[in-house]
Amino acid sequence: MKQLVFFFVFFLIVCISTTYAEKTGDPIPIGIGVAQTSNVALFGQEQIIGAKIAEKLFNATGVNGTKIRLVYQDTGGDEAGTINAFQNLINQEKVVAIVGPTLSQQAFSADPIANRLKVPVIAPSNTAKGILHIGEYIGRVSAPVSRVAPNAIKQALKQDSKIKRVAVLYAQNDAYSVSETGTFQEAVKSHNLMLVSLQKFMTTDTDFTTQATAVLSANVDMVIISGLAADGGNLVKQLRQLGFKGTIVGGNGFNTANVFPVCGKSCDGILVAQAYSPEANNPTNKAFVAEYHNLYKKDPPQFSAQAYTAVQVIAEALRKVESVKKKKITQLELQVVREELNKAIRTGSYITPLGEISLDRTGEINQKMFYVSRIKMDAAGKVGNFVIMK
Amino acid sequence: MQEDNFPCQDIMTAVDFLQNFLNGISIGSVYAIFALGYTLVFSILGIINFAHSAVFTLGAYLTYSLAVGQFGISGILAGFRIPFQLSFPISLLIGAVLSGITGVLVERCAFRPLRARDADSLMALVSSLGVALVAVNVIQYLAGSEIYSFPADVYGDIRPAIMFHVAGKVVVIRTVQVIIFAVSMVILAILVYLINFTRIGKALRAVAENTSTSSLLGINVDRFILYTFFLSGFLGGIAGSLVGTSFGIAGPYFGVTYGLKGLAVIVLGGMGSVPGTVFGGLIIGLTEAFVPSDYSAYKEAVAFAFLLIVLLVRPQGLLGQSQIHKV
Repeated sequence: MKQLVFFFVFFLIVCISTTYAEKTGDPIPIGIGVAQTSNVALFGQEQIIGAKIAEKLFNATGVNGTKIRLVYQDTGGDEAGTINAFQNLINQEKVVAIVGPTLSQQAFSADPIANRLKVPVIAPSNTAKGILHIGEYIGRVSAPVSRVAPNAIKQALKQDSKIKRVAVLYAQNDAYSVSETGTFQEAVKSHNLMLVSLQKFMTTDTDFTTQATAVLSANVDMVIISGLAADGGNLVKQLRQLGFKGTIVGGNGFNTANVFPVCGKSCDGILVAQAYSPEANNPTNKAFVAEYHNLYKKDPPQFSAQAYTAVQVIAEALRKVESVKKKKITQLELQVVREELNKAIRTGSYITPLGEISLDRTGEINQKMFYVSRIKMDAAGKVGNFVIMK
Repeated sequence: MQEDNFPCQDIMTAVDFLQNFLNGISIGSVYAIFALGYTLVFSILGIINFAHSAVFTLGAYLTYSLAVGQFGISGILAGFRIPFQLSFPISLLIGAVLSGITGVLVERCAFRPLRARDADSLMALVSSLGVALVAVNVIQYLAGSEIYSFPADVYGDIRPAIMFHVAGKVVVIRTVQVIIFAVSMVILAILVYLINFTRIGKALRAVAENTSTSSLLGINVDRFILYTFFLSGFLGGIAGSLVGTSFGIAGPYFGVTYGLKGLAVIVLGGMGSVPGTVFGGLIIGLTEAFVPSDYSAYKEAVAFAFLLIVLLVRPQGLLGQSQIHKV
């Protein structure tokens, strides 16, 4: 019996030491845990395109010659799918870091797992409050909603100084939208506008007749919507069909070309604050835009640019790890790479499609430039563009 | 800021009432024709066909494919365009007929084999749920998860909304809501005529009353069960397409919510009762519409809470009786 216990303990020690001695894969695996299915996939698919372009461009030189390899896991649109995807990326695929998830709502459930296992996460699109409080391994390249969103209201007032009465609508089952609407409502107050109607909906809703007719009867000059592309686009469509002629400000959920088929012609004129402009003048953005144009014959959207940036930050930080440890990443133990990478991500600055950025010690992005765009649809209401406002 | 005097508020309340009423009967009419699909099958077989919500979804996708034909960015049909487009009424009709045929296939796959073995009705229920899940996943595999929207001019070059001025306020209704209501009422009238004034209807009612006796009277029961599933699928397809034109097709799972509401409608109206289903559909639609707009995110919860209360008072449903007037 004693022998059996001895062998069991010995086996356990071997297992544990094998795990600790695990080397980093070659090419270096980086996880992309975003939504490829569900209605969130509208954003996730744009993120995957951005990440793929980053992988292609970065691998021209690699991490001092070692290539990176993106490993994709579909999170779906919910929390359970995100937890599964993160666990697979960390335990099965042995990634050095994760880019994702798509929604703040998903981040609140899955990021704690990565943080506990000391795997760096770079959020490409989580802008809600509290994301970085999850832990020291969580960072983001998506500027917080409080920095981005109010710019759209400023632009709306610049366009039409007579705006006084405002309706605010938001998806109450989405953490990001709830966070964003708080920022919007503060901005409404700070500009001395009258918030005459505050309404909620669900991201799964399709019929917005009640909200739309209530907004019309409140006789407002501007409507501010925080939701996702599917529900937000549908809400805009029904508002416009019912005859609303005022200004519409959309939150970050509108920051995707996938909203165009939802509201069609009615999308025209929506103001959206953006953290990215395809016109940003730096070599990284020019290379990114050129590659995106080459593939899709149009300007890249913000979600693609942020996903590109997330991969870029991780890849460049891997180079820093090599220079600090004076060893190839592939010769280092996986857990050492993860921990060193997390430190490296937070040092120095990066020239990215979003402009020059850096991440502070909490993982928060320092970004200098923000923009507001106006959606412009063609006459048929099929093809749209985000036109950056001057 | 609110300085309106009391009588004026009364008038405004009446205007709001009219607005909510119009919103409610429009969506309620779709709930009714959708739920009639459940009712028909329940009348004949005494079980719920859970695949009905998948047929609803499929109907919307079929009509979209025929009328618009442009597929999105995910799924194996990504970027594919059907080389021809039909007018919306023709697409709606063909989409509904194809949905009816899908209903027949559901009967063949999920119900008939179990019925032949005299299996428990619970098994048929689970079997139909399985068919629903497979169908929805096939749709996702083919057409992806994104939203498909019908173009604004799908009904032709008409004004998007109709406005009434009442007591100084505007009551506005989307034209598509009026069309949905009108089409639903026409379909309903045809169905009532079919059930009450044709030989097929008489046979269906006989089968609903008692399959063994009907069989002894020379009615081919299996054939009339197939007719029932065709009619049920046809109604589901029409409802799905109408909802799709109004709100867009919000991905392959968009039938799930309507499926749940359809169940609420038939329970509220009285299981197996055609007039009860129509009444139940309108009541659920109106209940949702009358939830104050500030709380409309909770409208489904309110509708189901209302259902619970009604069932506590009348367990047989609003129009359900000890002897239900079946199909």
